[in-house]
Amino acid sequence: MSWHTQSARPGRPAARAMEPSATDGAVDAAGAADQAVTGERAQRFLAMSVILTGYGRVQLTGTGLTTAYLRAIDTALPAGLLDDLISVFGRVLAGPRSSDDDLAANVASVILDDPRLGPVARNVILLWYCGTWHALSDAWYAAYGAPPLDTTGVVSAQAYQGGLQWAAAGAHPAGARQQGFGAWSAPPEPVPPAPAPAQPVPEGAGT
Amino acid sequence: MTGASGAVDDGSAMDDTSYDVAIVGAGISGALIANRLTNAGLRVLVLEAGPATAWTFDGYAAHLDHFYEADGKGPESAWPPAAGAPQPDTADLRSGGGYFVQQGPDSYGSSYTRLLGGSTLHWLGVCLRMLPEDFELRSRYGVGRDWPLGYADLEPYYREAEWEVGVSADAADQSHLGIEFPDGYDYPMHALPPSYSDQVLGAAVDGMTVTLGGQPFALRVRGYPAARNSMPRDGYQPVGAVDERGEGQALARDLGQRCQGNTSCTPICPVQAKYNAQKSLAKADRRNLRVIPQAVAARVLADPVSGQVTGVEYQRYANPDSPRHTRAVARARCYVLAAHAVENAKLMLASGLGADSPVGEGLMDHPALYAWGLSPAPVGAYRGPLSTAGIDDLRGGAFRASHAAFRFDIGNDGWRATTGAPDTSVAAAVASLGMFGTRLRRHLEATLPRQVRFSVAVEQLPSPNNKVTIDPRYVDPLGNPRPVISYHVDDYPRAGMAAATDVYQRVFAQAGIEDRTDSGEGAWFPSLAYDGRVFHYHGMGHFAGTHTMGSSAAGSVVDADQRCWAHRNLFVVGSGSFPTMGTSNPTLTMAALSLRTADRMIKELTR
Repeated sequence: MSWHTQSARPGRPAARAMEPSATDGAVDAAGAADQAVTGERAQRFLAMSVILTGYGRVQLTGTGLTTAYLRAIDTALPAGLLDDLISVFGRVLAGPRSSDDDLAANVASVILDDPRLGPVARNVILLWYCGTWHALSDAWYAAYGAPPLDTTGVVSAQAYQGGLQWAAAGAHPAGARQQGFGAWSAPPEPVPPAPAPAQPVPEGAGT
Repeated sequence: MTGASGAVDDGSAMDDTSYDVAIVGAGISGALIANRLTNAGLRVLVLEAGPATAWTFDGYAAHLDHFYEADGKGPESAWPPAAGAPQPDTADLRSGGGYFVQQGPDSYGSSYTRLLGGSTLHWLGVCLRMLPEDFELRSRYGVGRDWPLGYADLEPYYREAEWEVGVSADAADQSHLGIEFPDGYDYPMHALPPSYSDQVLGAAVDGMTVTLGGQPFALRVRGYPAARNSMPRDGYQPVGAVDERGEGQALARDLGQRCQGNTSCTPICPVQAKYNAQKSLAKADRRNLRVIPQAVAARVLADPVSGQVTGVEYQRYANPDSPRHTRAVARARCYVLAAHAVENAKLMLASGLGADSPVGEGLMDHPALYAWGLSPAPVGAYRGPLSTAGIDDLRGGAFRASHAAFRFDIGNDGWRATTGAPDTSVAAAVASLGMFGTRLRRHLEATLPRQVRFSVAVEQLPSPNNKVTIDPRYVDPLGNPRPVISYHVDDYPRAGMAAATDVYQRVFAQAGIEDRTDSGEGAWFPSLAYDGRVFHYHGMGHFAGTHTMGSSAAGSVVDADQRCWAHRNLFVVGSGSFPTMGTSNPTLTMAALSLRTADRMIKELTR
């Protein structure tokens, strides 16, 4: 059966079929991530992701999904677009500010309100929270062109399970990482406080 | 594909066996009957239209991966159909495409699965008995019709079904609304622990009174009996995962002996702590059982004079992705159609069976509403079995003379079913509220654990206008008819929806829950109007009617034993036999009826 072979699924970039399958993902993806997340580009992507998601670097890298997400974004978007976003983000992070609120305001005005980069930044948030890449809008396509492999879909079985939304809910991904018999009877545990916004990583400080 | 594992084969071997019974369909009805007949020494052939991909644990795990990777997580998301055995998908409802040919005026919102194990692969697992009054609606309230048997007739089989399926509940807690248990009886496993959400809601709601039809009702959050493994009673051995491989290996059976709280009963329990029909098939006497998957019954052959069924013509496909197939005929002394309410009717119509009886008529469902809101404090949403309790005090009462009864399932999965949360909650916060970073995280942490969802299952009565028919213009890739569905939700359930809405709003107010129902956040569902109000409804997967049982051949298709009036060596089983369906999900009653039918067959065939 075609769905059994786990080859390229309809509507999914072929490159993602090369990702670890769910059965071996826990080991292979984490191993690959260990090497790749030490690279400068990944470090700057993570620094941006910390600000965008509100989760700390360790929690993000702990999903084992950093390289998979970089690959998914690179597959979906035109070459250079993600690096543009990361660069602009780096400038915002390095720019002057007197408080975290200033930083948030700058991220909103410079990045999220930008018609080209804003939708991409929001997609990065959804990627970390939901494990799903969302195709950009028709309006974005009209303005900047339609990338051929930009399709909506769950990146992988592991990405579904690694979504931050389950942690935010104080829960577990439906169908995985179960809490055990009767655990549902206990009150939800208070969520740990969100970390202070991470210190920005200056450009070039990756490795 | 599955190899020769146990009694399930690839259908290629020549077959000169003479079977006592040929069963069409390996869902819960077919599996229970096959189990009981083979253990009584009868030789049984089971033809299953779908593949047996979940029969090995590795195969089952591949379905789990399919669910993880699915963009939509609907009931069918783990269970893709074969080309030769297509199935309805709730995603087709909006587009109007798919397997069903919907003739309206309303959309029929339910789906089912054609695989070894059937729709129990993705059912919720609730195991409510029908109420005694559900069997006597016409006599008691002047609506619907009476069953040809009563609660007392079925009660021993309810007990057997609860032990066969493996139900967790406490009899003392379930003794209400006229339901009684014999002294000394209890369920095979203790009730599952209530969710934290159940406890919070119960503390707020228990004892509140509502009035319906002039009669006061005290409401209570009550644990649901469920076919999910809990702590056993009286030496009962919980049955975990099915893992059938060659050489009798069964490596994964230790899995699933307790519910582990995966919060995904629907579409797939990862550890099979929830019952599925494969568990009953696995307990059949293999020496007397042959199961051929990927074998679609196309026509039942009957003697035109005597009405006796003489064979089942079936189409066997080797490749689930292709309609290429070969044809063969299965022969036995006696035949059982256990293919699903819709598929049974379709097959009878395609075979010209039951002529002059209302085959296909009386199709029912529980047209259901969602109600959702935000609790004032965290209730621990997204944890535990999808539903561990409900409010079911309004399943019975004199008001049923004028409108439908109903019950509330209390969800443990936030707004997942209603809005597609948590994904949609994240997306709404990011896109509509412009949130990101710490503010986004805190917003989600503050709201997701407070999400509350009720499913409001509303009773529907049989109508000859609600039916399954066939039309030569609409065929599937094997050339078999697609079900043509005519369906109308009339004023009886609509008035029930209105009453149920009033009650849930009072319950929400009592618990301080901010009502967010139909706030524009909900996923798309078909709508209908009543008395100036609009309701968005969905199907519960509770197909019933279509080959209704009755006390005489006039106006019914089968008798109380589910034996076809017109073809005496043919039994047509399942929820299609229900004359009415009350408010319970049909599975336990189907199981009880199947066991009763199996006993009747054994008595006759071993004489």
